[in-house]
Amino acid sequence: MQGTIVENLSGRKLSVLVALLLLAQVACFLIGGLIAPTPSSAYNVLGTNCVDTGNNTPRWFYTRGHGACRNLELSDYKDQDSKLEMANKVVFVFQIPVPRENVVLDYSRWQQNLIGVLQFDVAYHAENEMDSRTIITIDAKLGYRNKGDPDDAWKPYASALEERSLDCVIDNRKTDYYYNCSIVPLFELGSLHHDFYLLNIRLPVDHFKHMNEKLGQLENMWLITINQNGGFTKVWVSLKTVFFPFIVGIMIWFWKRVHQLARPPALLEYMLIFLGGALTLLNAPLEYLTLYFDMPFMLLLGDIKQGIFYSALLSFWLVFAGEHMMVQEDNRHNHLRVYWKHLSAVGVGCLSLFIFDMCERGIQLRNPFYSIWVTDIGTNLALTFIILAGISAGVYFLFLSYMIWKVFQNISAKRSVLPGMSSVRRLHYEGVIYRFKFLMLATLLCAAMTVVGFILGQVAEGRWKWDESLEIEYTSAFFTGVYGMWNIYIFALLCLYAPSHKKWPVESESHSNSVSEEIEFSRLPTEPSEISSLASFARKAALD
Amino acid sequence: MTSAAVTHAVARACSEGSIESCTCDYRAAPGRGVRDWEWGGCSDNIGYGFRFSREFVDAGERGRSLREKMNLHNNEAGRAHVASEMRQECKCHGMSGSCTVRTCWMRLPSLRVVSDNLKDRFDGASRAGGGGGGPRRNRYNFKLKPHEPEHKPPGPKDLVYLETSPDFCNRHPRLGIQGTHGRQCNDTSIGVDGCDLMCCGRGYRTQELHVVERCACTFHWCCEVKCKLCKVKKTVHTCL
Repeated sequence: MQGTIVENLSGRKLSVLVALLLLAQVACFLIGGLIAPTPSSAYNVLGTNCVDTGNNTPRWFYTRGHGACRNLELSDYKDQDSKLEMANKVVFVFQIPVPRENVVLDYSRWQQNLIGVLQFDVAYHAENEMDSRTIITIDAKLGYRNKGDPDDAWKPYASALEERSLDCVIDNRKTDYYYNCSIVPLFELGSLHHDFYLLNIRLPVDHFKHMNEKLGQLENMWLITINQNGGFTKVWVSLKTVFFPFIVGIMIWFWKRVHQLARPPALLEYMLIFLGGALTLLNAPLEYLTLYFDMPFMLLLGDIKQGIFYSALLSFWLVFAGEHMMVQEDNRHNHLRVYWKHLSAVGVGCLSLFIFDMCERGIQLRNPFYSIWVTDIGTNLALTFIILAGISAGVYFLFLSYMIWKVFQNISAKRSVLPGMSSVRRLHYEGVIYRFKFLMLATLLCAAMTVVGFILGQVAEGRWKWDESLEIEYTSAFFTGVYGMWNIYIFALLCLYAPSHKKWPVESESHSNSVSEEIEFSRLPTEPSEISSLASFARKAALD
Repeated sequence: MTSAAVTHAVARACSEGSIESCTCDYRAAPGRGVRDWEWGGCSDNIGYGFRFSREFVDAGERGRSLREKMNLHNNEAGRAHVASEMRQECKCHGMSGSCTVRTCWMRLPSLRVVSDNLKDRFDGASRAGGGGGGPRRNRYNFKLKPHEPEHKPPGPKDLVYLETSPDFCNRHPRLGIQGTHGRQCNDTSIGVDGCDLMCCGRGYRTQELHVVERCACTFHWCCEVKCKLCKVKKTVHTCL
């Protein structure tokens, strides 16, 4: 016995399998579109201006509950003489989440993460024009409270003195018109473990350090909080929970099959199991743990898991194309070493993205207000890593397209020799080439669908309506669809590229596909390679 | 203007958390309420402001006469102006901060911009002649006809009137009109603040005054204004 399942599977069985997988794919898409809500939602929260009567007291200011502070209209103080110290006393208070429908809402742990963005309403005044770029200093304190705690029992979560740049433009220079200011990313929390959060922000003025001197007439400060939707997390985690055992199962099945062979596993099989492992890592529903433990590193972990998966997928494609290229002399003991040049492109790309991520989200574990983009050095560093990753992506795709082009060239070269072969063998090889191309097509289709889906999602913002009653949540459908697609793709790879066990002819198959059985026994028994008969076929031809 | 201001103020208060009864976005799934918060989010500031304004400001306009229809139309126009000045902003927060995941929200406009837009529409308001009836169940589903049949019917953001304004030139205490006697005017303007229009052709008096004014002000966040006091010669025109 030899070859992989994809070559020995009858056309009917293959089509049944493909149909089943397509059905699963459609199901994934529909689950996202019909059941899941949008992946995340944003809330505009208007800051309440409280006055710190002391000087920079450590106490917390909050707007709801017993002992809340009173709102102060900033404009009341606008025309009074020298109110300099006032600036240092104003505290912008954001108590999130805000109540709805007379219910005090609290964050659920299903909501996973929280991103805070600031928006400034700066009114135009001819006496006080703002530069197009102003550096502002923000003194931010984030606290939390849980259900059952007293109203004033806010506990510190993080605090920092951060500088951010504010880009403001105005078209219509009229008094009291707002500048169009850029949004200011403030914080990112990787876990939403507590029920209520409280953000106290001050914009301290210090004429010696030139702190916040250039700030215009700030009228409102808005905090936009973005959190993942609990419903989306639930759908996503259930999807993972379903995929996880399937992929683990097929991996075990695959590995058992490989071990039943007399030879040691081939490189392609190692790559497949590595790919399966990376996907299993991605599928592992660690989100369940966040319901019980505070895990602020989930964002970083998610990035790393995705990074490992992408690098595994990209390396697999390289090795897959390379193993079918049939140019190596030593064709029995292929090693990863052969591909070091190609794989280093993947490695460098992933490594630079990893370093960038560690610099951004890694440091955010210590200080959620941190951002690498605010300083010039940080921006340059981040850009360096991103450009490096971009270059290695370009190099990778050059390598890959070159290899695929080489494979197709080889195939067409071999095809011209085909008519000279015996009819049975020719039929077989044609089938093999067809199925190899079929899988290539599937890969391309998956990649294209991901890209097209992504672009469609960017172009057509908002909801897609086909019917008044049927509303498809396109963004969620895209995410679950793509996630399901790559799971199904890898499931199919593990399934179809497992070594075939056709030691005995299967009865049911014999009527419809009697040729395929003949093929198996008509193979050259002297050819010991079991990697893939396409590769062996090509090598054999090369030896001739 | 009232309807626009109510919409704006309520939406603002919802964001601040000072109104606790603000609703969720009901368009997605009606009647699911607060349970939605965990599942799919609950944010609908402007929508609530819109509905609140309809219920509050339009409460008096129950009848079916043309005047009430006009009021409804103008109130709707005010709300439409708030909605149309909303600006969308987005933030990317996908893998490593890339744009694979993007969330967008609407930014509430400055009420000053809304009121200026409404003033523009006020200046260009058209006279309504009659209302086409709409279905009974939706009181906002009607279309006003222009007074002059060859004019375009008023759009959703246009303001309309039924009667021309009374003469504001002369004092008329019963209508609450103060008249324009003694008002300051601008002799270079051709608009309603110009001396020709404002003084209704009665002419104006010109004086030269020396006034002490704040000038060369510098402003610091949050509340500090430093100004010099300057003596300037000013020419003032007053309607006779």
